[in-house]
Amino acid sequence: MFTKILIANRGEIACRVIATAQKMGIQTVAVYSEADKEARHVMLADEAVLIGPAASRESYLVADKIIAAAKATGAQAIHPGYGFLSENAEFSKRCEDEGIAFIGPRHFSIAAMGDKIESKKLAGAAGVNCIPGVNDAIETAEKAVEIAKGIGYPVMIKASAGGGGKGLRVAFNDKEAFEGFTSCRNEARNSFGDDRVFIEKFVEEPRHIEIQVLGDSHGNVIYLNERECSIQRRHQKVIEEAPSPFISDATRKAMGEQAVQLAKAVKYQSAGTVEFVVGKDQSFYFLEMNTRLQVEHPVTEAITGLDLVEQMIRVAAGEKLTLTQADVKRDGWAIECRINAEDPFRNFLPSTGRLVRFQTPKQTMFQANTADLLGVRVDTGVQDGGEIPMFYDSMIAKLIVHGKDRNDAIAKMREALNGFVIRGISSNIPFQAALLAHPRFVSGDFNTGFIAEQYSKGFRAEDVPHDDHDFLAALAAFVRRKSRQRAANLSGQLPGYDVKVGQDYAVVELGQGGNNRYVSVHVDEFTGKPGVAQITVDGKTYAIESNSRLNDIRIEGICNGRPFTAQVERGTLKNPLALQVQHNGTRIEALVMSPRMAQLHKLMPYKAPPDLSRFVLSPMPGLLVEVSVQPGQKVQAGERVAVIEAMKMENVLFAAQDGVVKQVVAAKGESLTVDQMIVEFE
Amino acid sequence: MQDIIEQLEKKRAAARLGGGQKRIDAQHAKGKLTARERIEVLLDEGTFEEWDMFVEHRCTDFGMQDNKIPGDGVVTGYGMINGRLVFVFSQDFTVYGGALSETHAEKICKIMDQAMKVGAPVIGLNDSGGARIQEGVASLGGYADVFQRNVMASGVVPQISMIMGPSAGGAVYSPALTDFIFMVKDTSYMFVTGPEVVKTVTHEEVTAEELGGALTHTTKSGVADMAFENDVEALLMLRRLYNYLPLNNREKAPVRASGDPSSRLDMSLDTLVPENPNKAYDMKELIVKTVDDGDFFELQPDYAKNILIGFARMEGQTVGIVANQPLVLAGCLDIKSSIKAARFVRFCDAFNIPVITFVDVPGFMPGTSQEFGGIIKHGAKLLYAYAECTVPKITVITRKAYGGAYDVMASKHLRGDVNFAWPNAEIAVMGAKGAVEIIFREDKGDPEKLAAKEAEYKARFANPFVAGARGFIDDVIQPHETRKRICRSLVMLKDKKIENPWRKHGNIPL
Repeated sequence: MFTKILIANRGEIACRVIATAQKMGIQTVAVYSEADKEARHVMLADEAVLIGPAASRESYLVADKIIAAAKATGAQAIHPGYGFLSENAEFSKRCEDEGIAFIGPRHFSIAAMGDKIESKKLAGAAGVNCIPGVNDAIETAEKAVEIAKGIGYPVMIKASAGGGGKGLRVAFNDKEAFEGFTSCRNEARNSFGDDRVFIEKFVEEPRHIEIQVLGDSHGNVIYLNERECSIQRRHQKVIEEAPSPFISDATRKAMGEQAVQLAKAVKYQSAGTVEFVVGKDQSFYFLEMNTRLQVEHPVTEAITGLDLVEQMIRVAAGEKLTLTQADVKRDGWAIECRINAEDPFRNFLPSTGRLVRFQTPKQTMFQANTADLLGVRVDTGVQDGGEIPMFYDSMIAKLIVHGKDRNDAIAKMREALNGFVIRGISSNIPFQAALLAHPRFVSGDFNTGFIAEQYSKGFRAEDVPHDDHDFLAALAAFVRRKSRQRAANLSGQLPGYDVKVGQDYAVVELGQGGNNRYVSVHVDEFTGKPGVAQITVDGKTYAIESNSRLNDIRIEGICNGRPFTAQVERGTLKNPLALQVQHNGTRIEALVMSPRMAQLHKLMPYKAPPDLSRFVLSPMPGLLVEVSVQPGQKVQAGERVAVIEAMKMENVLFAAQDGVVKQVVAAKGESLTVDQMIVEFE
Repeated sequence: MQDIIEQLEKKRAAARLGGGQKRIDAQHAKGKLTARERIEVLLDEGTFEEWDMFVEHRCTDFGMQDNKIPGDGVVTGYGMINGRLVFVFSQDFTVYGGALSETHAEKICKIMDQAMKVGAPVIGLNDSGGARIQEGVASLGGYADVFQRNVMASGVVPQISMIMGPSAGGAVYSPALTDFIFMVKDTSYMFVTGPEVVKTVTHEEVTAEELGGALTHTTKSGVADMAFENDVEALLMLRRLYNYLPLNNREKAPVRASGDPSSRLDMSLDTLVPENPNKAYDMKELIVKTVDDGDFFELQPDYAKNILIGFARMEGQTVGIVANQPLVLAGCLDIKSSIKAARFVRFCDAFNIPVITFVDVPGFMPGTSQEFGGIIKHGAKLLYAYAECTVPKITVITRKAYGGAYDVMASKHLRGDVNFAWPNAEIAVMGAKGAVEIIFREDKGDPEKLAAKEAEYKARFANPFVAGARGFIDDVIQPHETRKRICRSLVMLKDKKIENPWRKHGNIPL
């Protein structure tokens, strides 16, 4: 076995690999860019080597620097993680040539699966289901109908040069195939100047389901069940789970066996993933093979009880797999939520900066003992007070839960999301909470189009249903009551005038456009038991017990005998008197006052926020890479005004209306914060 | 007897109605509360003791003898805020537009005199059209009587002004003499001369809001300390502020125990200061993570943002916080920030509130606008305030403490009681680059040599140890233990007593 390995990656996956190496008694070497000097993976590793500037093409992607770092530190093997150099056949070969073990597949396996068309041919030859279709241009409509019949309806007719749904038709019968071919061809000719048209099987209500395989250098390959990854936003996975709530045992077995056949065909060793698209009739077709450890591997670890990174390291060291297909377990249910530094309320734009607060839910499994299951696991690359640089991926952590069954896992995940505190930057936690509460997610009835269909207009705060909204008001009153009790401790109170904590409150829930909701709340305190109160809202009673302190954002306790976790902040950016309460993805801002104060508060006018349409503001923190207008310039609505770059994403800002540029406030090359002014119109 | 009681009730009812239901409705329509409603929000329920409800004006000109409303446009008395005594006057805009008459002024003076006798603060809720013109000089005399009392009470009992309507002409000077001025957005304004006069004299076209609204005074002039959205929120915030203040200059500020342990460590502070010395960070994060329960009552948050001031608690005890803010102008001291902090330090000193200073200051702001504006004199105000101050003074240097600004910011030399530095603190005459360019002027053409010298200077001076070697720094502390170390220091300083030499008064460079 190796005594020292290098991890050629950053963020959560580097930390993840380090954890297993430490468990196995292997020394670790981290590599880092200048932007990652104080990153978590650097702190956790035994040694760390600086490999260059922030941009990944000058650091994490430079094979020479990684090899040099391994040599300099005497690391015998390199784990590439995912992304960066992980699926680079040349790099795998280079490691081999330099006498360093590559903890992953051999270069020829990577190369064989690296090409989309070649890999499909290989898969077909290995007996793996591929989407039936004709890859040669079709000449006539009659021919098209014939081919469609041969494939079996429904079929998809698509233009060779098309993309993004353009030049695409779905046909369910001969007539539709005939017409579809004709119109598709015309459109293709007109739009793309290329009238080549293909036909392939149309998969209805497609799901993305993938099989984890594991092979050794002795020709053994097994499959470790499937992962359901259909919850995607713009082809990025958001929630993954294992097993799939959809496929039958027979389908699982067929998919697994085909995946193993493919792996064997390319002499695959290490952990890999074969991705399939699965139709509503349980038909499945090969998409591609990922020759690396996947982001979502922890859900497989949870249901199989295996440590995949450990397996990869052992395989790379030449060990034989110690388990056979019959030994592979599938216990309970695991779900993973990807926690991204992005603002779901601003169309998921990336968010960067300092993590003023980063408190993960308590990790209760997969720590020192990776066989420890049925709990919560947090894989993170950042820590409290850390920094999210603008140069890398927006995924900062993964939250994994393992439950007895799917409902148990969903309940655990909702609770874990409630306890995940991230401040200083925005995160997608409210969106994740909304998905977990969605009835169709809960019932397992979804496909890859789920997010696009359900949130077609983007994600809004109203999209989160809460099954007991008054609980939020009760919590607000509970916290307000606590601060009143603190006020009762104030020294210098005159006899006969001591502070009355009060039992009756009004919770003023601050709504959009001054539509406030006034809720009467009654609080009974059980004397002599601090942190316990019975709160009545609209006839409903909440007996809340919590020892959380006033400066804790996370409030944990028991409500009506059941444990709960929520987040409460006293004072918001807009209003120092307001409380912000968050639970199950719902967030309210509320003032809690005496009933009389609330009466007077009703007299107060609503003040509309200032009109900012004259300004172009930065929608996210990032680098201003271009200002396309000059003072005095006439600009039409929709015209390009500026470009901001963050997290590998370029964001073009357009003029919202016609106007004349009064001044350009921010300069090219400047680092901007959210809502910073860039251009002002007259 | 029954007659008298009936008459009493009638008078009371008339006084409570002020200028009548129509005017009350008009006040509400403007989004404003009435004088009495405001008192109701400000004070603990049922604690208000009203005085002089039956006072009426003595004016007989212009038909005023037939137009008398009991109370004469101001509600005065005392009550409690969280069980602690306070005197209040609340001007009633529904009565003669809240205009100040001789008797109106007398009512205010009466409670101010009483407040001085018993040693309790005075809060004024201002909503007045100005002088009662019908009374002429009698009204002006009334103003001056109030001014004199404001000055006599200054530094003896805290005085707070809440501007909740117009305040123009002579009326602005009573609030100006008090310790804190708050305003309500969109419904209050203050100016010495109104837009009409401005237009006649200087031909400037300006609205009342632009000239003297809450935004103007909290962002441009610095006259007001804070602006609030509406009457209710303004008064509730005033209650919060009141909890931090002692009743008078012979008392200590009230203590409010909290569950926040003094030994609480915050590891995230270890990464607060960026490695790059030119990169900014938010000093407010340090304050919020250091004080009890994260509660920081910031004053003047929108004015001279390069310095932060405000109240907080440490182990329940009120402290005043002064901190350079690297996010704005790199935390430089300039005219506005010096004045802002100086006045705050003097308030804390006058009312026995310990001052905690967080320092990250690259120096004084250079430039003609600063020099022509008198930065020498204004910067000296802060220097004077710190040097004169005898309450416990604790200083934490988080990063830069350069040049004269180092001296000013509650340094050991200005009788700082406990002076800490974080490990990466740089206490020096200036940054390494600037220093080397001066010392090695003759090597100007040799960038390599200069770089080497810069590194040498940095190694020698850009650390807390040179200052530590001379005892200018008592200890170098880890950022995460800042709260614990400040709490311990405050316990040690609990009974600190030093006195400045007797004099009539010092001559602060005004």
